[in-house]
Amino acid sequence: MAVYKRRYNPYAGSLTPEWSRFYVLTRYAFAELFKSRVFVIFFILALVPTLGFAAYIFIANNKTVQLLLQIRMGDVLTVDSQYFLIFLFSQSWLAFLLNCWVGPTLVSGDLVNGALPLFLSRPFSRAEYVLGKLAVLGILLSCVTWIPALLLFFLQGGLASGWLWPHLWMIVPIIFCSFIWILMLSLISLSVSAWMKLRIVATGVTFISFIVPAAIGAIFDAIMRTYWGGLLNFPQLFQDIIGNAFHADERFGSSSRFNQIPIPMAWAMLVLVCILALFVLNARLRAREVVRG
Amino acid sequence: MPATPATPQPTIELDGLEVQLGGRTILHGLTGSLKTRAIGLLGPNGAGKSTLINTILGFHAPAKGSARVLGLDSHTQGKALRALVGYMPENDAFISKMSGVRFVRYMAEIAGLPPSQAMERAHEAFVYVGLGEARYRPVGTYSLGMKQLAKLAQAIAHGPKVLILDEPTNGLDPPARKRLIELIREIREAGDICLLLSSHLLRDVEETCDEVLILRNGRIASICNLAEERRANRKFLEMETSGAEATFTAALETLGCECAVFAHGRMKIVMPENVEIREVFKVAADRGVQIRRMNHRRDSLETIFLNAMEQTGAADGRL
Repeated sequence: MAVYKRRYNPYAGSLTPEWSRFYVLTRYAFAELFKSRVFVIFFILALVPTLGFAAYIFIANNKTVQLLLQIRMGDVLTVDSQYFLIFLFSQSWLAFLLNCWVGPTLVSGDLVNGALPLFLSRPFSRAEYVLGKLAVLGILLSCVTWIPALLLFFLQGGLASGWLWPHLWMIVPIIFCSFIWILMLSLISLSVSAWMKLRIVATGVTFISFIVPAAIGAIFDAIMRTYWGGLLNFPQLFQDIIGNAFHADERFGSSSRFNQIPIPMAWAMLVLVCILALFVLNARLRAREVVRG
Repeated sequence: MPATPATPQPTIELDGLEVQLGGRTILHGLTGSLKTRAIGLLGPNGAGKSTLINTILGFHAPAKGSARVLGLDSHTQGKALRALVGYMPENDAFISKMSGVRFVRYMAEIAGLPPSQAMERAHEAFVYVGLGEARYRPVGTYSLGMKQLAKLAQAIAHGPKVLILDEPTNGLDPPARKRLIELIREIREAGDICLLLSSHLLRDVEETCDEVLILRNGRIASICNLAEERRANRKFLEMETSGAEATFTAALETLGCECAVFAHGRMKIVMPENVEIREVFKVAADRGVQIRRMNHRRDSLETIFLNAMEQTGAADGRL
């Protein structure tokens, strides 16, 4: 179908592997995202704390710099599980903000003008579509959570001899805790994006989906004099999970409710939220995949 | 219009296809085989045309029976089937902020083309449909006609073997409609591609298709091979005469015509292929019959459609 010939010709060239096609969505979404200067600045700012934490590791392991700065690291914060706990916790909030910025536009753009049937009329399933969109948030949020955490971990391991092996267990909570948080954030914002056309509304609803259940939970606790309402406070549940995983001490600011909700229940609740969000997302996509007259 | 050759295997094969949506049966045991490469799907609103297309695309699972396209079952081999399909939906279907060519490239990549090939084909498809100048503009800024062409471009960019067009000329002005129909005919005649065109405009189907599946209330009202009908080229004459009708009709019947005589000298004649109209005039002159009015027409798709609607008791069949 050469341009100058203006004639239709079928395509007879090679095709990409089917398993890799979900990444086309991810690639195009990244291209759109990084067109925005605001997003680029936001993303860079989300990486800045990592540099601060890396500088801290460097100082903690460099006696000369410590002498120059006239500080003793033992008096402040040693590089241990609490260090990574604080890093992950602070980064998880940055991930939340990043998710609120990126998530609301991902699905709604395809639904507003009925583009979804075009994706699904190709050899491309709804699951692949969701996977492609999830990968956008998964990669972005990983870049500010577990990936820098692991880099810091290995930086410390490289600078402090004999530190790595006794602390190797931390790799598991770094990855798994980040994974459940990223998954929950991504699925909630994608399902909100599938229902809300306007970005500002979708961003607001994403915020509300974290704040309102927590408030309802708090009211329930106050009225019923119990602590089970905390199951609706997702950030608190995540705090409990990582606090438990990293053996948090009082420096992490343990709340009065800390450890009251059993950790397996906290995990189960976050998994349940993921399943519910996936169910809502699937229902919406299924309803919109067919062109309606 | 030259007819495209029939495929060795049926293009579309329906075997007792029943589709239910929300507990309501939409398609009632459709059975039929369509063998030509350009198939029209006709029917009044709500006849089940879009449901049939959606079933073929695998969006709806059949409750009973099956639909096969080029031998591939729409339900069990949906992915393989969709790999062969280019689909132009009836309604708006685009990403408004993307430029036209980027949108088509995106869709081609989803269909499996490598990025460089997808880019090349997207440009080619855009130029081919006549939107070359507008390809870098966001699709959201296109006029209705341009959006239709952009939808056609995304449907053909990956070089499908089956092109499904759902009401492609909806909302187009006459020149834009003509251009789109020409494009569809060009595509049909250019390559090894099967066409399934759904429309409620008989003219669109007549100008582009060889075979027609007429649906009514979710049932097949008729399957008609237009190409064969064209070949048969049955000629009809409607006349109003004055004079010796009996001898006139007898003489016409000796020529091989079929005559039906009505009151006040009105008659309808079906002429065989080898009889020309001037022979009718000659017979009339020889017998002193005066022909006061004559309409000459061929058996059109409209007749076929109306007959199908009447046969299924559809006097109210709206188009």
